[in-house]
Amino acid sequence: MIIAEWKPIPELVRKLSGHRRILLAGCACCVAECAAGGEREVETLAPLLRLALSVEGHPLEIVTRTVERQCEWEFVEELAEIIPKVEAVLSLACGIGVQAVAERFPEITVFPGVNTTSLALREEPGLWTARCQACGDCVLGETFGLCPVARCAKSLQNGPCGGTRKNGKCELDENVDCVWNLIVERAAKRGQLESLLRIREPKNWSNSFHGGPQRMLREDLRP
Amino acid sequence: MAPRTETAGEKTAETFKPEIVVLYCQHCVVQDADLTIAMKATSRFRAKLVMMPCTGKIEPSHLLKILAHGADGIQVLGCPYQQCHRLDGNLRAEKRIEYTRQLLHQIRMGPERLGMERGLDFSGLQLMLLAERRADAVKPLGPNPMKGERE
Repeated sequence: MIIAEWKPIPELVRKLSGHRRILLAGCACCVAECAAGGEREVETLAPLLRLALSVEGHPLEIVTRTVERQCEWEFVEELAEIIPKVEAVLSLACGIGVQAVAERFPEITVFPGVNTTSLALREEPGLWTARCQACGDCVLGETFGLCPVARCAKSLQNGPCGGTRKNGKCELDENVDCVWNLIVERAAKRGQLESLLRIREPKNWSNSFHGGPQRMLREDLRP
Repeated sequence: MAPRTETAGEKTAETFKPEIVVLYCQHCVVQDADLTIAMKATSRFRAKLVMMPCTGKIEPSHLLKILAHGADGIQVLGCPYQQCHRLDGNLRAEKRIEYTRQLLHQIRMGPERLGMERGLDFSGLQLMLLAERRADAVKPLGPNPMKGERE
């Protein structure tokens, strides 16, 4: 899922100061799963922002609405009735949802309420870890299902780098597993260590952000 | 318009009667507790009692909405450690309260507006005393700005 986290409250307060009535829009998809922008978080952030702005002397009325997905036009349309009644929108969706709302309603300012951080897996309640960077050239079949792009600080294709700690953690963060250590361990368990001796060719990064904005077209699905 | 003076501020502090919402677990109050004692208005604070099935039912959104509606402080009363009737509801409540206190600190509302006490067989009088404890913590912070009383 796409994960995100609330922007710092002082930053949101600065953005919203001067407005009298805004819409706080949640998204019940990925950002709800990562406890950043679902209905529960919307209903938490709304009173918090009202209190924060009241402390600053800028009382604000906040209308709340959570749609199923802010990245689908059909669901974004549900906001059409409320938009004319507010001065701005604070969206708790990922960057895609914020852009969809801003595109559908160009007449109104849409502020992002969260920072979208990565594509992640919920390891356990309250802990999410990045597992994919949408690099556009998936190598998971060769790395025993462990992603060296998203999970290695250096995105090394031929690891480990040599900085792995003795306990198997990354040299840059003691809380993060060295993914190349995990790859080697899994390869050993399967008796396929020798497959890691092959030098992996440079990846095709042009399929990812490095190749500019991406666009996918399927003629068979078009109207 | 008269300028604000220390004297005026002191007067406000003297007349400030904190409104405290007491959220209590149904299992930590004696069944025949005289709750009217705790509900009685005193000269120093006002208390409103709300019974919960378990403090684990409390969400940060509940606590913030109570404050956004103008309460000056919230006192949560839960069961002692390892004595929750819902196994770990009181521990969940503790974590959520701590999270909410951090949010209140971030927005400069004062984390002291929210607190949790533990115990069993609370009487009506004890509820009032615990509400008073929260009122005493809130008093130095002044009224909740949502009331518009700071001007």
